[in-house]
Amino acid sequence: MTAPAPNTVRLTIDGIEITVPKGTLVIEAARRVGVMIPHFCYHPKLKPDANCRMCLVEIEKMPKLQTSCSTVATDGMSVRTATTVVNDAHKSVLEFILANHPLDCPVCDQGGKCDLQDFSHEYTATGSRFIETKRIFQKEYFSPLIETQMNRCVQCLRCVRYCDEVMDVKALAPAGRGTMTEIKAFGSHPLDCEFCGGCVQICPVGAITSRLSMYEYRPWMLKRADTICQYCGDGCQITMQTKNNELIEVNSSYGAGRNNGDLCARGFFGFQATSHPDRLTKPLVRRNGILVETTWAEALEYTAQQLARLKSTHGAEAFGGLISSRCTNEDLYVFQKFMRLVIGTNNLDSSARYGHINSTQAMRRVQGTHRWTVTFEDIVDADVLLLVGTSITETNPVAGLRVKEAVKKQQARLFTIEATQPGIDSISNITNLAEQHVGVPTAQFGDALLGLLKGIVDGRHVEHSDQSRSNYISAVTDALGKLNWTDIEAATGTSRDVFLEIAAHIAKGRRVVVLAGQDLLRSTGGHAGCLNLLDLLLLTGKLAEPGCGLGPLAEENNDQGAVEMGAVAELIPGALDIADAGARAALARAWKGELPQTAGATLKDMIDKARSGQLKAMMVVGENPVASLPSHMNVAEAFRSLELLICQELFLTETAALAHVVFPAAAPLEKSGTWTNEEGHVQVVRPAIEPAGESRPDWEILSALSLLLGVPWEYGESKDVLKEIRSVIPGYGLLGPSPIPPKVDPATVERYVAGGYRHDLGNRYTLAPRRPPAEGTAWYIRLTQSLFHSGKLSTRAKGLLQLEEHAVLRMNRAEADRMGIADGDRVRVSNQRGDLTTTVKLVERVPPGTVWFPDHFAQKASALFDCTVDPVTKVPAFRIASVSIVKAG
Amino acid sequence: MSKHEPILLKNMNQPGYAGTLAEYEKTGGYQALKKILGKVAPADVTQLVIKSGLRGRGGAGFPTGVKWGFLPKDYQGPRYLCCNADESEPGTFKDRQLIERDPHQMLEGMVLACYAIGAETAYIYIRGEFVLGARILEEAIAEARRAGYIGKNIQGSGVTVDVWVHRGAGAYICGEETALLESLEGKRGLPRVKPPFPATHGLYNKPTVVNNVETLANLPHIINRGSEWFAAIGSPPKSTGTRIFCVSGHVKRPGNYEVPMGITFRELIYEHAGGMRSDKALKAFIPGGASAPFLTPDHLDVKMDFESVAAAGSMLGSGGVTVMEEGTSMVWAALRLMEFFYHESCGKCSPCREGSAWLVQTMRRIVAKRGRAQDLETLMDLCKNIAGRTVCAFGDAEVAPIMSTLKHWRPEYIALIHEAEASNLLRPQPAGAKG
Amino acid sequence: MLKEKYKQEIDDILSRYPVKRSALIPLLYLAQRETGYINETSMIEIAGILKLTPPQVYETATFYTMLNLKQVGKFHIQVCKSLMCALVGSDTLIGWIKTKLGIGPGETTPDGAFTLSTVECLAACGTGPMMQINDDYYERLTEDKLDRILSDLKSTGSSTLKTGPFMWPEPLASKGEAPVR
Ligand SMILES: Cc1cc2nc3c(=O)[nH]c(=O)nc-3n(C[C@H](O)[C@H](O)[C@H](O)COP(=O)(O)O)c2cc1C
Ligand code: SF4
Ligand code: FES
Repeated sequence: MTAPAPNTVRLTIDGIEITVPKGTLVIEAARRVGVMIPHFCYHPKLKPDANCRMCLVEIEKMPKLQTSCSTVATDGMSVRTATTVVNDAHKSVLEFILANHPLDCPVCDQGGKCDLQDFSHEYTATGSRFIETKRIFQKEYFSPLIETQMNRCVQCLRCVRYCDEVMDVKALAPAGRGTMTEIKAFGSHPLDCEFCGGCVQICPVGAITSRLSMYEYRPWMLKRADTICQYCGDGCQITMQTKNNELIEVNSSYGAGRNNGDLCARGFFGFQATSHPDRLTKPLVRRNGILVETTWAEALEYTAQQLARLKSTHGAEAFGGLISSRCTNEDLYVFQKFMRLVIGTNNLDSSARYGHINSTQAMRRVQGTHRWTVTFEDIVDADVLLLVGTSITETNPVAGLRVKEAVKKQQARLFTIEATQPGIDSISNITNLAEQHVGVPTAQFGDALLGLLKGIVDGRHVEHSDQSRSNYISAVTDALGKLNWTDIEAATGTSRDVFLEIAAHIAKGRRVVVLAGQDLLRSTGGHAGCLNLLDLLLLTGKLAEPGCGLGPLAEENNDQGAVEMGAVAELIPGALDIADAGARAALARAWKGELPQTAGATLKDMIDKARSGQLKAMMVVGENPVASLPSHMNVAEAFRSLELLICQELFLTETAALAHVVFPAAAPLEKSGTWTNEEGHVQVVRPAIEPAGESRPDWEILSALSLLLGVPWEYGESKDVLKEIRSVIPGYGLLGPSPIPPKVDPATVERYVAGGYRHDLGNRYTLAPRRPPAEGTAWYIRLTQSLFHSGKLSTRAKGLLQLEEHAVLRMNRAEADRMGIADGDRVRVSNQRGDLTTTVKLVERVPPGTVWFPDHFAQKASALFDCTVDPVTKVPAFRIASVSIVKAG
Repeated sequence: MSKHEPILLKNMNQPGYAGTLAEYEKTGGYQALKKILGKVAPADVTQLVIKSGLRGRGGAGFPTGVKWGFLPKDYQGPRYLCCNADESEPGTFKDRQLIERDPHQMLEGMVLACYAIGAETAYIYIRGEFVLGARILEEAIAEARRAGYIGKNIQGSGVTVDVWVHRGAGAYICGEETALLESLEGKRGLPRVKPPFPATHGLYNKPTVVNNVETLANLPHIINRGSEWFAAIGSPPKSTGTRIFCVSGHVKRPGNYEVPMGITFRELIYEHAGGMRSDKALKAFIPGGASAPFLTPDHLDVKMDFESVAAAGSMLGSGGVTVMEEGTSMVWAALRLMEFFYHESCGKCSPCREGSAWLVQTMRRIVAKRGRAQDLETLMDLCKNIAGRTVCAFGDAEVAPIMSTLKHWRPEYIALIHEAEASNLLRPQPAGAKG
Repeated sequence: MLKEKYKQEIDDILSRYPVKRSALIPLLYLAQRETGYINETSMIEIAGILKLTPPQVYETATFYTMLNLKQVGKFHIQVCKSLMCALVGSDTLIGWIKTKLGIGPGETTPDGAFTLSTVECLAACGTGPMMQINDDYYERLTEDKLDRILSDLKSTGSSTLKTGPFMWPEPLASKGEAPVR
């Protein structure tokens, strides 16, 4: 036999020869030759603990039986997994594990998917010899959504290890010693954690189960649908389990999807938003001032007439459209086609406008892609990671897990520029893992990035080799030369040494991944920030290197799709410029119709135009600007002055309540289609249940209207739409199980360094104006993402409401102590625009001088905020305001 | 009685010797340290110890110098020495005496060991109950610091060794070296899966040596008087030097006796410990702490060295010799030890965790005369199924009492069960009973 | 708050270890010294000092038998009941204590003065029967020795009968042969 390839070893398992990479565990090697070695405590995600002793095997030349879960395969090793000795060992270990087990399978939710049941069936169908008294744990209330039944626990500690090693939450404690070891939270306190559901999923028996589905089913009664989580841009695969058209439970198996089986609270416990009783089930039309239920035929007829009437009287430019990026690509595509082709206007926008577009436009300009040039895998493989304004645990928890894996398992260096500070709370805090952390308010992110860029230049880390870049380099160097460290240090409260150190590591790194999150993208200067991050990669020569790149994280599950489907004023499908005549012509050919040329109005403009009467009609699909935008923008008043407001909605939202017609839309768990996650990975969405009542998918509603307006489309099902999408964006979504990221486009980079950078470099390379906060408002209030919610949709999910039912103001503990404010106290927050009285929750992670208010309940607070619009990308930024805070009696 | 000069107990045998630094120095204390530090290459010190044949006194009896040799030669960065002063093995109370009566002897040994393995920090993991011992060590360390035997640049040699006392908090398993390390890291004292061994991945994942108090206390003497001298004591080549045997149970003069390895149990028990306390004859003895299988009068002439005791089917272990007189119930004795092991199982491994609970309950039933015929077979099976199938050696230890008493005194079990079966007719059966 | 009261001592403890968590058991001892047992407030504070989550402190605290999570009596009597002591009468000793103080293992006298626990081997096997009361060992116990110890404790709060630096048998030269029981 030939010598094995380097970094591999050859061994035999039950006589079968196999070659595996060095470091492979025997239990994994066995799996590869189809030998399933029984085990409880082993899990591929976790460090071996070898505590259950179930996986014992015989290994030649070793006196004792060895645990295959902790033994690394070596060359020439000969393993036997089925000798009588081994079988007896398995039998006996199982006998021990069963000794104290209550055998209450009939009432156990795990029954039918339980490792203990399966192995027992395999090894000891006979009765037990154990005639002593069984150990009994006092049943204690464990937590809102998670149930424990400790008598069933086999003490494999998989839950505890997952909570620590993978989640970095450390909320579970094995309390006590010996047989009396019991998994608890903290004393008799209920569990307070991220509620990722990981412990429920990883428990091999029925000791930890979900209360949402408690006693609801037996596994074999369930129908499964593999689909994608409807919340954030990470795009986790979930398996939605249903029992006669009822949503029962979510899980996600190891190896599945981009999340590899990991989920967050929203994915695991958030599915019930779909089955909320307030779902709209019939079309509504406004008759003498009130919305009344009606038939589809009538609602569609009426809408079509009105659209036709207004178009003929006021023309296409009197129309505007808004769509939520939670819609499928098919919905988004059909929507923009409807607005452009049927109505004939580019006045259309989607929630990508809230921030995501800041990053896609920057990438298009500098590197010629609108997508990441890296993937989640590259995050794990990175040796240097830079996070800028991500609040990754709260906003993109599963992308956050990849970062944790890189740092904790692969020893990657992590640097963070966040509006969060290190500290231990009940949910994990990424800045605790950072080698260097720069803590600045969102308004100063840009300044911190300039500090970093100056560090690159002053530290002589600029990659000079490419002559064609010398002008660009000297321009940047000059711009940075004009900034002095003292100002940067003052603006960021961070010493130059820190910036120089981080810069040095970034320059040294071989695989550098930069993640930019919503705190940056949704703030003033979000666009410039992204451009400067790309400059950072360009200057250090990383931009086009394999495994290096910028990854903007998306708040809404299909923000990326919205951009790629052209569901924004300035872009058409393929994220091509509407101004690009060639692209427009090609699309016109495919559509067999002309596209409007006039530049379209974006979100804020449309609202202004509605108010000023220039817009007469708006189509709003799943968006709720009335609640999302600051109240002083008076969106409600603007909408009231419209002659026609059409909404397609799941619920009668603040916006829908103003509509003339409301169409009940099918929810994500009720329809087919595709979503594109932040990595640019197109994933299939499958229905788990029938649409609620008479609700229909958004694309279907739109094509019905277009038919009535005399533009018939042959879309029988969403697949037909996808087919058309692929005809205009060749190969769209034909990728495999993981994305194949685009390469940086050299031509674009050439254009950029040749002068493309010039027009705004000056503005981008100046420190943010530091106007002192208005009289007596010493604090900043921030609208922030909560881990337990996503947008407004999740505030209808029963499970998530049990975790966070209403808004609380998060505040720095130490600071609150000083002010004599305690957990649960009420405070009054106010500024010249408005005020708010609410309850505080004290946490470590909120920096002094700042308080956080959850975006999802922002209606209450929205009076406090002002809105600035990015001159280039038109992104409205309104998530920070200076306020004063007093304890309310 | 074999004439021999005690080595470790020599100082404290002097009336009035209180183990202060001054007294220790008077008896030649810290000479070895002066002789070695900065003068003899660390590797050569290790060689010296290998040549002396010194083996661990903590229980496993692993050759000390060889263990030191396992540390990675080229490794940059910190290494650690941990002195195992957890002394929790029932029947053992020698380390306590070495600590409280002559602390500088072990401290000098620790500094020498640190020098040999290139450690600049050493921790003494002392069982929590030894409050006095911990205080005495703290004071001794302070003395030694002031005198420049511990701390930076020891005796101008440029060598740095810092020593800290770390108290355990009541867990026998923390005597197991990897559990000790976990505990020292502030975690639950659960043994680690080996490999990797402490020599490469020990305290804070750094190269680490764990040595018992008595082992370390021997080092100054080996340095001062040479490996040959040491290697000649006891029963060379495999069991060199003396051992402090802790005699307990039904003897006239229980206590610590330091004798050369290789004397017989008879000599230790009948000469040193003064023989049985009454006219009752010796029925059984445990030769090396609770983890060692029981032996019978037939074994009295076994030589007290690692090999001979192993050959007799037990082990020298921690040196705790417990003597039991006629009239002691062996089943009861085994139960008492089983109660201990049940109480102390850390709970990591299923066989040990569940097995100890199962064994102890069955044993209680038998002693309470509620045993059943099939119990003995079950006991034996369970013991076999625990031994060798666990992360640490506790699994092997906990079954020793039952297996050995079953082997030598099975009739006592059977008698209890017969009584039980007679009375069972009058007593309702326990829940789940099949018999 | 431990931090205010013992700042010096806490800093000193932390300075001994390169990794904070190692200071956990020492700090738990500190808390126990302060309040007689370890309550949630101190566990939370210690978690804060060591940058751990409260469950991480809790899991360690519950593993070790010397860390009390409940209040115990002023004098915590811990009688070794392991085989070696049992061979020389530890059960009888427990009987004596029951008759004298009226408490069995796990019980505390109504006045909260004494708590009786049985514990496993305390490394005094040659000098049993024995007990540990708070920090001190009392060995080679007889009934009247026990009487004297208990009355000492009740009256003065401590007893001279506790063991000093341990050695058994005592130096031959000094006291001749170790006394025979
Ligand atoms: C369950 C168990 C308990 C142990 N307890 C102790 C102990 O109390 N003291 C000790 O020195 N070694 C004890 N050991 C042995 C240690 O694991 C280790 O072998 C020893 O400390 C190494 O030091 P040495 O080589 O100097 O003997 C124990 C081992 C096991 C498996
Ligand atoms: S054998 Fe027992 S004591 Fe040792 S690790 Fe396993 S469970 Fe713990
Ligand atoms: S799976 Fe190997 S010991 Fe548990």
